[in-house]
Amino acid sequence: MKQFFDKISKNRYYAMVFKNPFTYVTGAVLLSLFQIALFAYSGNPWGVSGAFANWGAWIYRLFGGNVDKWYYFSSSGAQQTLDAGVLNNSGSLMNFGIAAGALLATLLASQFKFKKIKSIKQVVAAVLGGLIMGYGARLAGGCNIGALFSSIASLSLSGWVFALFLLVGAFIGSKLLAKFFL
Amino acid sequence: MAEFELDCLGEACPVPLMKTEKKMAGLKSGDTLIVHIDHSCAMKNVPEWARKQGHNVEVEEVGDGEWDVIIEKC
Repeated sequence: MKQFFDKISKNRYYAMVFKNPFTYVTGAVLLSLFQIALFAYSGNPWGVSGAFANWGAWIYRLFGGNVDKWYYFSSSGAQQTLDAGVLNNSGSLMNFGIAAGALLATLLASQFKFKKIKSIKQVVAAVLGGLIMGYGARLAGGCNIGALFSSIASLSLSGWVFALFLLVGAFIGSKLLAKFFL
Repeated sequence: MAEFELDCLGEACPVPLMKTEKKMAGLKSGDTLIVHIDHSCAMKNVPEWARKQGHNVEVEEVGDGEWDVIIEKC
């Protein structure tokens, strides 16, 4: 078994597809093709962060909470999605697919590694950053996938407005990064 | 012809690149810097940046998901 894997990992085509990183252009073309296929199949543009809000609601429900009166979940469509459960939510399934696919990709490239946490600063930055990103994505009606990538692909002006402010945020973020992490 | 090391294990992009840029600025021509990384996108952007600067660059896979980027300042 080990011999077999040692052998295929040296194969030129295996290295090309699974081991070496794709170029940005290859990645962009693949993303475009897959999002077109997804749109054609499901009728909804690709989004990621919307499902996270539902996960939050489901977890809250597990502990006996009720989000029926929350403005964000008050529409009958949102209630239907929540009542149908996580396994009937295409956005959640796609997110599981992303995580599973990323794990598979890193295993196929034999690059899987548990990385150590270097400092408490990293933890604080990750938690704070995650909270701000999640909250911002819900206020903006999407993240860089739903509100940027899918919007621009749907010829919506809002995607370009999002892009403009994403640049402003990235600029401020990189200044903060240089200040706290260099 | 001194040799320096930079430990970027456990650091995500773009921190390894920013640290490498900062460290390289203090090196003399002919000096070598070995950057330890375990973030796969740093394995792409650190060598890319260094080659653009004209330095000699080599990437070595030292373990599963772990690389040494060896940069010789031009």
